[in-house]
Amino acid sequence: MKMLAVTIGLCLVFVFVWERVDMVRLGYQVERLKHEKVVLERERDELKVKFSALSSPDRIAKVATEKFGMSLPQPGQVVMVQSKTKDSPASAVELRIARNDVLNGRR
Amino acid sequence: MTGSPSRARRYVLLLVLLCGFAVVLFRLVSLQVLQAAELTAKADRQHQKTVSLEGARGTVMDRHGKVLAMNMEVPSVFGIPTALESPAKTARSLSPVLRVRTDELEKKLRQDRSFVWLARKLDPEQGHRLEHMPMDGIGLVMEGRRFYPKGPLLAHVLGFAGMDGEGLEGIERRYESQLHGEKRGVGLQRDAMGRTVFPKGQAEQVPAAGHSLVVTIDEVIQYIAEKELEEAVAKARAKSGTVIVLDPQTGAVLALAISPRFDPNAVASLTADRWRNRALTDTYEPGSTMKALVAAAALEENVMKPNTMLFGENGRMTIANTVIHDHEKLGWMTFAQVIQKSSNIGAAKTGMALGDQRLYRYLQAFGFGQKTEIDLPGEVGGLVKHPREWGRRSLASISMGQEIGVTPIQMVSAVAALANGGVLMKPYVVSEVRDAQGKPLRQMLPQVKRRVVSPETARTVTSILEGVVTDGTGAKAAIPGFRVAGKTGTAQKIDPRTGAYSSTLFVGSFVGFVPADNPRLAMIVVIDEPQGEAWGGTVAAPVFRRVGEQVLNYLGVSSAEPVKLAMASNRR
Repeated sequence: MKMLAVTIGLCLVFVFVWERVDMVRLGYQVERLKHEKVVLERERDELKVKFSALSSPDRIAKVATEKFGMSLPQPGQVVMVQSKTKDSPASAVELRIARNDVLNGRR
Repeated sequence: MTGSPSRARRYVLLLVLLCGFAVVLFRLVSLQVLQAAELTAKADRQHQKTVSLEGARGTVMDRHGKVLAMNMEVPSVFGIPTALESPAKTARSLSPVLRVRTDELEKKLRQDRSFVWLARKLDPEQGHRLEHMPMDGIGLVMEGRRFYPKGPLLAHVLGFAGMDGEGLEGIERRYESQLHGEKRGVGLQRDAMGRTVFPKGQAEQVPAAGHSLVVTIDEVIQYIAEKELEEAVAKARAKSGTVIVLDPQTGAVLALAISPRFDPNAVASLTADRWRNRALTDTYEPGSTMKALVAAAALEENVMKPNTMLFGENGRMTIANTVIHDHEKLGWMTFAQVIQKSSNIGAAKTGMALGDQRLYRYLQAFGFGQKTEIDLPGEVGGLVKHPREWGRRSLASISMGQEIGVTPIQMVSAVAALANGGVLMKPYVVSEVRDAQGKPLRQMLPQVKRRVVSPETARTVTSILEGVVTDGTGAKAAIPGFRVAGKTGTAQKIDPRTGAYSSTLFVGSFVGFVPADNPRLAMIVVIDEPQGEAWGGTVAAPVFRRVGEQVLNYLGVSSAEPVKLAMASNRR
């Protein structure tokens, strides 16, 4: 009986100490994860800025013209066609076609 | 039996233990009671510190959510000179990364101080390099830095924030109270490993980030306006230029371009002259563009009709002992032709028919002489004198756009009122305020300022202004497939040396809207001091055409020209 009481007492002490140690360990883990979150947020912001810079119209126009040889459509090359369907007589849909592409059969 | 040696040893041992406990007890009382206050304060100083933290500054986005300005945490580098073994060696290692001269760094590191900034708010790439070169006596702290990822795009509207994160110009300044993050003093603690941590329960008290703004600007339209303006200013070898594109039905600014541009990421070496938003801060004499508004007033007051005949005095008329000239010898013409041919004499006669009080009333109604109240800093109200200050020639001069100072934003707002059926709208650039999580907090709705002329008058003036483009001075503003209404203007500038009108310094402008029958864009182009040919119809009207053509295409606005059915049949 005495032995059992001592064992239970020791177990309780062990659980108490283990709980305390684990709390400290988890505390450090929480801090580490918080730090990781901050680092990841910083990386996200950095990528946002890079994405925004790379998708700038200035840069896209430069790449399109200098790298891919594209150019702005000349006057008359783009016409807006109002498509009238049975379902939408009010012509809600607009279709863009390039005039020279249509005439040359290139799409 | 008494005085056995073992008993004596026990007493000695007991005495020693008692003495030991007494010493411990005394020490405990000394630490916990006598020195308690002093030691507690010392421990607090070592483990806790209060720092002032500021939440991240809010983001600025265009109308489609594209990021135009945002904050990012970047490293700042400091040195602890007292902890350095070799300042010269450290300076040599850091110099290429910090892009600061070695001798400058060494000078800082040799100072007799415990803390010195070496470089603040570096690029992220520099920070990554520094992370891999640990050095005793050198430390990094993260600070918020403002980035403008699109570079010079929209710089004059965005403005910029200073080193300490406060808005100094543009939207950054005007909306400082919305954009800046919350400032709060937070008590921090150091853990057993010396790292700074938030005490339990305070982690949630991190200062809130600032609000984000959504602007009415479309970055693509802005790019088109800036590109075309830059080209036009360079081609005309002009001093500067302005393009403003408005949605005439709401007053929302779709683009506001100023040339020359600047990069808000690098303003340290620039002067205020470079970042000044000339569209709001600079007044100019509008010249003939004013005739469009004088015509609207005359039609509204029934003193003129489109077919009223006026005599052009063969290009020369004397008023108050001064001579007014036209650019060609004009005879009899209709009122509509007066505007289309931009006759100064016809405009002067129109103004005189209106009279000073009525003309002044319409100038005020169109918004001249007062701020448009656009939500940007630095706006001026222009210069419109009261009729009691007018001279004998003023009525004629003002009718042809002289003796009056306007800003480009005033002029485009006034003409946008004609495009909007006679209703003047308040121009604005910020359409929404959102919290840090993107939840809308406030929406800015279009605001009507007043009705200036009737819808019928607005339609009649529009028809006359269409004639300016089809048969008059604004031919180069014509956009194939679309009905364009507008007016050219060429104004002489006052020579600052002589105080008289210069024969070499001009402002060429064009203001109008398109499509004339259902206006989607109101636009002004102002080219300041073009060299060579300076007519508004030559230097500004082509910019209107090129910007208008591309923007209408981008917005998917249908051409007025019918599409031939034969084309559809060719499609496979």
